[in-house]
Amino acid sequence: MLNKTLDYSKLLLTGNEAIALGGARAGVFTAVGYPGTPSSEILPYLSKLKSGAIVNWSINEKTALEIAIGTSIGCKRAMFTTKHVGLNVASDPLMTLALTGVRGGLVVVTADDPGMHSSQNEQDNRLYSKFAKIPMFEPSDSQECLDFTSKAFDVSEEFDTPVILRTTTRISHSRSVVVFSGKFPPKKDEKEELENTKNTYKKDIEKFVMVPVYARKRHKAALERLKRLIDFSNGSGLNSIEYNDKEFGIITSGISYQYAKEIAPFSSFLKLSFSYPLPDLLIKDFVKNVKNIVIIEELEPFIQNEIASLGIKLKGKEYFPRNGELNPDIVLSGFKKAGFFKGKKTDKEKDADKEFDISLGNNLPPRFPALCSGCPHTSVFYALKKLKVPVMGDIGCYTLGALPPLSAMDSCISMGLAFGAAQGLSLTKSSHKKTVGIMGDSTFFHSGITSLIDAKYNNAKFTAIILDNSTTAMTGGQDHPGTGGNLSFNQSISNKIDIKKIIEGIGIEEIFVIDPYNYNETFKTLKKALDSNNLNAVITNRPCVLYPKKIDTGKKFKITDGCTGCDLCMQTGCPSIRLSYGKTGGKSANAEIKPIPFIDSSCIGCSVCKDICVFNFIEEIKLS
Amino acid sequence: MDDLTQNILISGIGGQGVVLAGRIISLAAFESGMDIKTSEVHGMSQRGGSVTTHIRFGRKIFSPLIPEKSATAILSFDIYETLRYAGSFANKNTIIISSYDGKTPAWTSKTKNDTIANNFTDIYSIASLLKDNFKSLTLLDDKRIAENLGNVKVSNIILIGALSVFTDIKEEIWLKIIKTNVPEKTADLNIKAFMKGRASL
Repeated sequence: MLNKTLDYSKLLLTGNEAIALGGARAGVFTAVGYPGTPSSEILPYLSKLKSGAIVNWSINEKTALEIAIGTSIGCKRAMFTTKHVGLNVASDPLMTLALTGVRGGLVVVTADDPGMHSSQNEQDNRLYSKFAKIPMFEPSDSQECLDFTSKAFDVSEEFDTPVILRTTTRISHSRSVVVFSGKFPPKKDEKEELENTKNTYKKDIEKFVMVPVYARKRHKAALERLKRLIDFSNGSGLNSIEYNDKEFGIITSGISYQYAKEIAPFSSFLKLSFSYPLPDLLIKDFVKNVKNIVIIEELEPFIQNEIASLGIKLKGKEYFPRNGELNPDIVLSGFKKAGFFKGKKTDKEKDADKEFDISLGNNLPPRFPALCSGCPHTSVFYALKKLKVPVMGDIGCYTLGALPPLSAMDSCISMGLAFGAAQGLSLTKSSHKKTVGIMGDSTFFHSGITSLIDAKYNNAKFTAIILDNSTTAMTGGQDHPGTGGNLSFNQSISNKIDIKKIIEGIGIEEIFVIDPYNYNETFKTLKKALDSNNLNAVITNRPCVLYPKKIDTGKKFKITDGCTGCDLCMQTGCPSIRLSYGKTGGKSANAEIKPIPFIDSSCIGCSVCKDICVFNFIEEIKLS
Repeated sequence: MDDLTQNILISGIGGQGVVLAGRIISLAAFESGMDIKTSEVHGMSQRGGSVTTHIRFGRKIFSPLIPEKSATAILSFDIYETLRYAGSFANKNTIIISSYDGKTPAWTSKTKNDTIANNFTDIYSIASLLKDNFKSLTLLDDKRIAENLGNVKVSNIILIGALSVFTDIKEEIWLKIIKTNVPEKTADLNIKAFMKGRASL
């Protein structure tokens, strides 16, 4: 947030906030995307800035990019935000947009997640810039996020190309100091805008109708454009050389630049901010003047391979890993391997006397993320575990149902996979149980609808479960078509799209709507749906406990005297059911007396554990 | 990294307010005119997982991540997480402020291995382990202090108050930042909690 107590010109912003501010300063007309960590905060922040831009969530990334393209064809600036894997969904329009080029500037913000803090893979989206032959910026802090976003729009219009702005988790979710100069451009008078011929819609089929005869010409134009972009890369000043000790040189970009500056500030640097296409002349200059050079980049050897294609062999991935994210310590160990610290003491070695060895923390079990207290997904997974069915899963909070103790999801690969995979798996008859496909409401809208239509069309037999918690929970509670609200308008019935009606429209006749807080009903209904040989659907109808507002039923439960510590309730994984700190607890596995759980004050009263305790040792606390 | 750089690691469990605490501390440092970088965690790990926020401030900061064994202070909302991160980020001079409370669901406590460090059950042993190893350890019963103030949710601010004693940031800046970053209705309560924490050392 803009901090009101501070001078407006100097701010402490995350990379995502700075990108939003850069978009506002560039006069973005339309900004769209689908939520995905680490990109999710850009659009909400831009919306709060009230710059006049139309800012909305789209149903999925492909649709979002298509909306941005239409805006660009209409001579206005458009921004599309996505996480790395979301660009795969939008890659179909992207690859051909690279041929048509733009009218209004179009910037694609892709936030990658090296280290997979909250993702299913760690693909390196820098490769998309090469694949599509479009230019790319890589900011290394929030100031650059602001500056490069504005600059990217200028480059987009000057070179008639979409532009990629690529961040990573440590750029998007790091705060650093930003100096903001300038104002948001004032919203122009619409009449005046129409009179300006530069801004009027122009039909141009040779540019925007990519049938073979025109597409061939545009491909040629894209290749010509790439040549001009190399000149820009060399001369724009975005890529720069900083000569220090000419014995040691580092070529790097993005967050890796910051780690390298931290660890080896004595070196010479070639910092790549405009990292595709690469500045060939600057690279040759740097190589001529510096003796030992290493390339530091997260994930793929993208820069290394591009430089190799210039006929220059430099080392990089020989010293630094190709998987996971980098950090100052990994960078230090890479430098040591590369001989950068021969005869030098690192900061850490100077501090060696301060070192302290406490390795006990290493023995703590990892603390996995878990479903919240009162999460409406819990009882469904508890029931599915008991029913021992194969479950094709999907991406959202509910993916946590795959982890112990629930362990009731058998796949999680891509957004919207569940129903397609359920159809495919059911065809194999490799399990004698009926197959389940399970996904959330936002995922259903994103890309589950099409595969459910396919299932009906192709006579598939499985049970489709939609965990409808009325929000996009994992990414922070964003709206979607099922909520009827969006960033630019409040929730309303007229904008709300009913999941049950969609499924009815597909022609699926058996549809069960259940309240997941009623465990017994949930179990019975799921069993009924699984016993039926039809393609059928189960929809849960409890809202998320966190979004849009925190839920507390007001009820409290306790475990009564007599509990034997059988652990039925513990198998829900509910974070409110705990064991006491008593020393005997640690020996539970072998001791005769089992530790007795208790329910702590974080319980929100969903009552699922009460249903699950068949011995009736869990009861509601009656408040007098 | 020069000697004046402060590296503060905040650790806790997703949902405990690690991100908000990070925002308050970093805005206080920023308001004091220092260069600053932070790194937060959003998304999946936030659902009850182990989370950290890195805060670094000083004359000029490059990396937003704190190098190993280089934390000048660790602020932790859960005693198990204190142990986890002290192992990799603390050195002999690290100031550690930790909640005495440790939270974990029952099922993870029931691990098969029965040694103390291999499960989440024995909070007392972990406390004494930390006490034996860290001179500058402060364990606060923040939950009890918060309950006495009338709202268990302000326990984070109590811990921030304790940490504030070890920084050069002025009291008035802390108070101003807290006031503007918590819900208006709870501003007085949070200020009280901060002062309680500040006086606890």
